[in-house]
Amino acid sequence: MSEALSYFFMSWVDLKLLGLIAGGTFCGIYIGAIPGLSVTMAVSILISFTFKWDMNAALAVISGIFLGGVYGGSRSSILLNIPGAPSAIATGLDGYPLAKRGEAGAAIGLTTVMSVFGGFIGIGALALAAPAVSELALKFAPRDYLMLAIWGILLVGSLAGGSLAKGIFAGALGVIIGSVGLDPMTAEPRFTFGSLQLTAGISYVAAMIGFFGVAEVLVQLHELHLKAVKQNVSRIVPPWALVRRYLPLATRTSAIGTVVGALPGAGGDIAALMAYDHAKRSVKEPSAPFGQGAYEGLVAPESANNAAVGGAYIPMLTLGIPGDAVTAVIIGAMYIHGLKPGPMLMIETPHLFWFQVGALVLANCFLLVFGLTGIRIFAKIVETPKPILLPLILLLSAVGAYAINNNPVDVYWMLGFGVAGYFLKMYGYPVGPVILGMILGPLMDKSYRQAMISVEGNVGAFVGEFFTSPLSAIILAALAFTVFSQTPIYKRWRERKA
Amino acid sequence: MSESRARLPGERVFALALVGLSAFLLWQAWSIAGFTSITSAGAYPMVAAAVMLVCALSVVRSTWDSAAQPAQSNESHWGHFLRSILPGVLVQFVVAIALYMGLMERAGFIVSSYLFLVASMAILGSRRWVLNLWVSALSLALVYAVFQTVFSVVLPTGTWWQGVLK
Repeated sequence: MSEALSYFFMSWVDLKLLGLIAGGTFCGIYIGAIPGLSVTMAVSILISFTFKWDMNAALAVISGIFLGGVYGGSRSSILLNIPGAPSAIATGLDGYPLAKRGEAGAAIGLTTVMSVFGGFIGIGALALAAPAVSELALKFAPRDYLMLAIWGILLVGSLAGGSLAKGIFAGALGVIIGSVGLDPMTAEPRFTFGSLQLTAGISYVAAMIGFFGVAEVLVQLHELHLKAVKQNVSRIVPPWALVRRYLPLATRTSAIGTVVGALPGAGGDIAALMAYDHAKRSVKEPSAPFGQGAYEGLVAPESANNAAVGGAYIPMLTLGIPGDAVTAVIIGAMYIHGLKPGPMLMIETPHLFWFQVGALVLANCFLLVFGLTGIRIFAKIVETPKPILLPLILLLSAVGAYAINNNPVDVYWMLGFGVAGYFLKMYGYPVGPVILGMILGPLMDKSYRQAMISVEGNVGAFVGEFFTSPLSAIILAALAFTVFSQTPIYKRWRERKA
Repeated sequence: MSESRARLPGERVFALALVGLSAFLLWQAWSIAGFTSITSAGAYPMVAAAVMLVCALSVVRSTWDSAAQPAQSNESHWGHFLRSILPGVLVQFVVAIALYMGLMERAGFIVSSYLFLVASMAILGSRRWVLNLWVSALSLALVYAVFQTVFSVVLPTGTWWQGVLK
């Protein structure tokens, strides 16, 4: 216990780590707030620069950026009516009407406090649940990992893209890109087309920067001349009575956020929308009608999306399965630093887990400080014109891709993936599953072959084990439900029921 | 399993191109080890490529059935495609990025990045030239200082200047 506590407080007493978390949170707030800059983009670009850092420093800064970024999106939603991040879409529904009523300061203040509250609930759940989930995960067989990975890709595909076929296509494409190079078991070349360069595989960091950085910049070119409406900001620290009034709702929606965040594939955006829906159904007398400046419409999504951060770390650290696109990128960072997220991580490197929990708590404290200050500078920064902002993002992306191996080829890969990602995005294909497929592909390949070898290549026995093992049967049922829930039959049945 | 949104110009061609890509990848996956073993190096990529092909065909079907996004009056299909998917500014920006990447190794990070920043700001419509020049210089100085010192990234110095700077 004392050891766990010492790891927990490691970042609190080390000035360098403390500074990195503070800096990460501060930058995260601004990155999340600037429309066109996403947390996934920032973390993807950042990873390539932290190769030479030690793991704790890299995790510290990523924790800050993740928590700060999820929160930061709310500010531009409230002030400019442009969500800085997908998880802030629901926030703008009531946040912007509040700002137009001249209550932007109160809205930002309440949002900050509730985000921090939600963040603590999510981190608390992580600290309590992860050790138990990790123990359970030790009982997982290779086939269970195979199904969990497929489930994660399916969830990201179906929830983010709208079309399940497009989501699965994107995931499978990622799997193929991830399998380029030499087969890890037999060293046979796969999709190398005789190129020596390709035998080493394709850098998934270059792909991440391309799909999340360059592609997003190209999509943003369609909104170059979108003018933001400026708002006056009044007092920002919310009165205690206002906070106390909404704590019961925030507790419920934080719980929703934590659970949704912990589902493989479902991130803060889904959590926020579900929490908003919950508030609409459960609050009988809101401060104003929903959609016209109800404080409840701010509290619910903001507490939920920050709670989802802690939730998303649970499957990531215990199963090695990302909770959403950002955690997929973080898993990539952990692999780069020689760590293998999964049940053995908690056994072999428990210090890392408690360090991570401590770093998240600290980042959440910094969120409160930075969230309630510096609003005037903030307003100036988020209004940076896109013709100036977008080339700068591109520059950072290029440096990030180059820094992976000091190799210009990675920069060309980045551009190629960026252009491909642009067309995929424009035609409604989610790009998150591509990255998930790339990262989870090797795990799926290994799990599939291990499972098949364990039954000596007997396909009947391989299939049979999915039904005879209770754990496998549960995961299979969840997977089947995910597919079924996207079918017209299920959707029609839901509509009739509603 | 379909989404309810209007079909964009070029979407059918794109969906067909993805069918072609999937079929090509399936053939490539098959050529790794054929059907020699269920755990061969090519078995898993074949499954992934087959899934891609099935999904791509499903997307083609739903795309064919969906209603097209209406074009503006007197606008040709090609004009609609260029406006909605491939506007001139996007093409110019991508060309600028490609040139920047080609130039980075030769002219070095600082020169190529500065030229890229100034040119792309102009392409994207920022007409405040003095501001563009200053913002580019300041941000580049910051990026260079941070990445060289904090992140220890060795940025290209440029092959053109090697003889000159010696």
